[in-house]
Amino acid sequence: MAGSEAGKGNGGFRIILLGDSTVGKSSLLRCYTEGSFIPAPCPTVGVEFYSKMMDLPPGIKVKLQLWDTAGQERFRCITRSFYRNAVGVLLVFDMTNRKSFEHITEWYHEVASIQLMEKVVFLLIGHKSDLKSDCKVSTEEAEGLAASLGMGFIETSAKNNTNVDLAFQTLTNTIYEALKNKEIDLQEGWDGVKVIHKKNCNPQKKKRKTQEKCLC
Amino acid sequence: MASEGGRKQFWKRSGSKVPGSIQHVYGAQHPPFDPLLHGTLMKPGSKPPTTPVKLKKVSTFQEFESNTSDAWDLGDDDDELFAMAAENLNTDVVMETANKVIQNHSKLQEQHKLQEEQLQEDQSVQSADLPSVTYGDKRLVKSVSESHTSSSADGVSEYSSMQRSQSLPHAPTAPVEREMADHNTSPTSALTEREASRLDKFKQLLAGPNTNLDELRKLSWSGIPKQVRPITWKLLSGYLPANVDRREGTLQRKRKEYFAFIEQYYDSRNDESHQDTYRQIHIDIPRMNTEALRLQPKVTEIFERILFIWAIRHPASGYVQGINDLVTPFFVIFVCEYIAEEEVENFDVSSLPEEVLQNIEADSYWCMSKLLDGIQDNYTFAQPGIQKKVKMLEELVSRIDEQVHRHLDRHEVKYLQFAFRWMNNLLMREVPLRCTIRLWDTYQSEPEGFSHFHLYVCAAFLVRWRKEILEERDFQELLIFLQNLPTMHWGNEDISVLLAEAYRLKFAFADAPNHYKK
Repeated sequence: MAGSEAGKGNGGFRIILLGDSTVGKSSLLRCYTEGSFIPAPCPTVGVEFYSKMMDLPPGIKVKLQLWDTAGQERFRCITRSFYRNAVGVLLVFDMTNRKSFEHITEWYHEVASIQLMEKVVFLLIGHKSDLKSDCKVSTEEAEGLAASLGMGFIETSAKNNTNVDLAFQTLTNTIYEALKNKEIDLQEGWDGVKVIHKKNCNPQKKKRKTQEKCLC
Repeated sequence: MASEGGRKQFWKRSGSKVPGSIQHVYGAQHPPFDPLLHGTLMKPGSKPPTTPVKLKKVSTFQEFESNTSDAWDLGDDDDELFAMAAENLNTDVVMETANKVIQNHSKLQEQHKLQEEQLQEDQSVQSADLPSVTYGDKRLVKSVSESHTSSSADGVSEYSSMQRSQSLPHAPTAPVEREMADHNTSPTSALTEREASRLDKFKQLLAGPNTNLDELRKLSWSGIPKQVRPITWKLLSGYLPANVDRREGTLQRKRKEYFAFIEQYYDSRNDESHQDTYRQIHIDIPRMNTEALRLQPKVTEIFERILFIWAIRHPASGYVQGINDLVTPFFVIFVCEYIAEEEVENFDVSSLPEEVLQNIEADSYWCMSKLLDGIQDNYTFAQPGIQKKVKMLEELVSRIDEQVHRHLDRHEVKYLQFAFRWMNNLLMREVPLRCTIRLWDTYQSEPEGFSHFHLYVCAAFLVRWRKEILEERDFQELLIFLQNLPTMHWGNEDISVLLAEAYRLKFAFADAPNHYKK
């Protein structure tokens, strides 16, 4: 029973998308998981969940748990509780929105304040690359920032479905490599990575007590 | 299974208390005695229907009936109401309304004559006493009451249950009616006698000179006819005074006040201190799903002003995504004051006179403000109101349906992951707009409807999907299901059942904190 979650694959990675409001996090996820594009989806409230299986080259299946987050500041208290259990983070900015790019460092430190950096793999995403003429951030500049923060950079467009799969593949591969090289430390009680052999103990039972009947 | 047993036992105990609770119900038609629910209450122990316990229940129910019969009896209590109204009302007005109703009735009766003849004989008595329902609802009604009366032995209770099913405003809604995506009642041409009578009661209450707000709440609990919904919402929200003579003045004053705010604040939207707020509102509105309401530029501008002014005047929370959704029901309903509801879809709002639009805007602003006053801690820093309510929801569900709770827990689904949005957007993202509007009829009739009662609605809503939830076998499936609940075709009847269940939960738990404590 405990293995049912990982039963279909060889493990699972929890990935979270962060970035300002309307940079296109939900569209990126919808494009990746459903192959669809809706021009102006409702703002994400709190967190939203998506999932997708991914094949890694050596014949390994990984289930990706993808968490979309609300970009608005007020929701940060809620979304923050999701950082801790993520092994991968896509930091997303809108290439036509300078501010969203400037805020990337803030988002990075936001994660850093909650999570030990050696556990997380980041990837910087410059989204809405289809709107080239409106671009307010150059590729070089974004690459520069990515390098300074020690992560890769990919330009994507959900509208044209450009590089969307590539972005998720790149992140997943990097996580997988880091795991193989033991660069990511698997700790008890941390859910960023689910591995089968870790899933055979289920601590649920001790939480349950026989229910006392109410006395009112 | 063990937990199932525990649950039944639990409900059996509180079930015995239910009849005595009825006096507290807002709205005589309140559905704690929904046959569906009643069935649940009766089930535990599967006692034969004629046991003394049952009879006692029936008599308690009769008490309930007699206490609350005013909402559905077309006979005696109408006289009473007329007598009451006559004290305050111009007799001409009363007679005029009464004549309208009578006309309506006779028209309907003619319409149904043919149908009536085809109906089974055993219903002939009933059709003489009770209003007939259009679209062959009768058959539905009958089946509902049959399912109930199968467990009751005597004719009296059969009659009561019959009345009750009839009195449930929306339970017996035919597909045709439902497809019309009606809000509360079918078009005027198809008004049932019961609906006409309800509408009449609303009109009498609203006519003044002083609207009895308690009575209005009772009546509104089970749904407000669309014809009187705009004014009823304004009264229930506390925007309009109960005194008829003061209403016009209040409206003028409040509308002026709102436009003075605009004068004062709206130019500051591009100032450094406010531009983030304005920008967020500005980019969120085009992304809203307002269903029937077309987000034409005129509407967008109105929404922007309403939200910006509210945010500026409430710095403790400011604008938080989700608040934008709360404007829509008010706006749509207040637009309906000026056009037929069926026209809202693709209606060109800018074709309304400027003054009318301004009134709609100001009224929407004030009613939304009143609503938000009750739930502001949902949107202040760290959103304590939501965090608290999600916790309470978890606690509550663990008590009312341990199996579901345990299932979620076992698959590591956290309530915050799905219920955050339920609280932040008051379920507006989970049900169609027409259902939200119906839900708000009741929320505005309940004390602390949007804050406290909403919690029970959420609990009832979650448990409503217990079968599907228990069928899902892993985290991803569960969460994706909970994020995309299949409510697209929901109508009033679904909301009525949900509200009845919520009421039952509230009654069982609200004043019994020990129910919460494990």
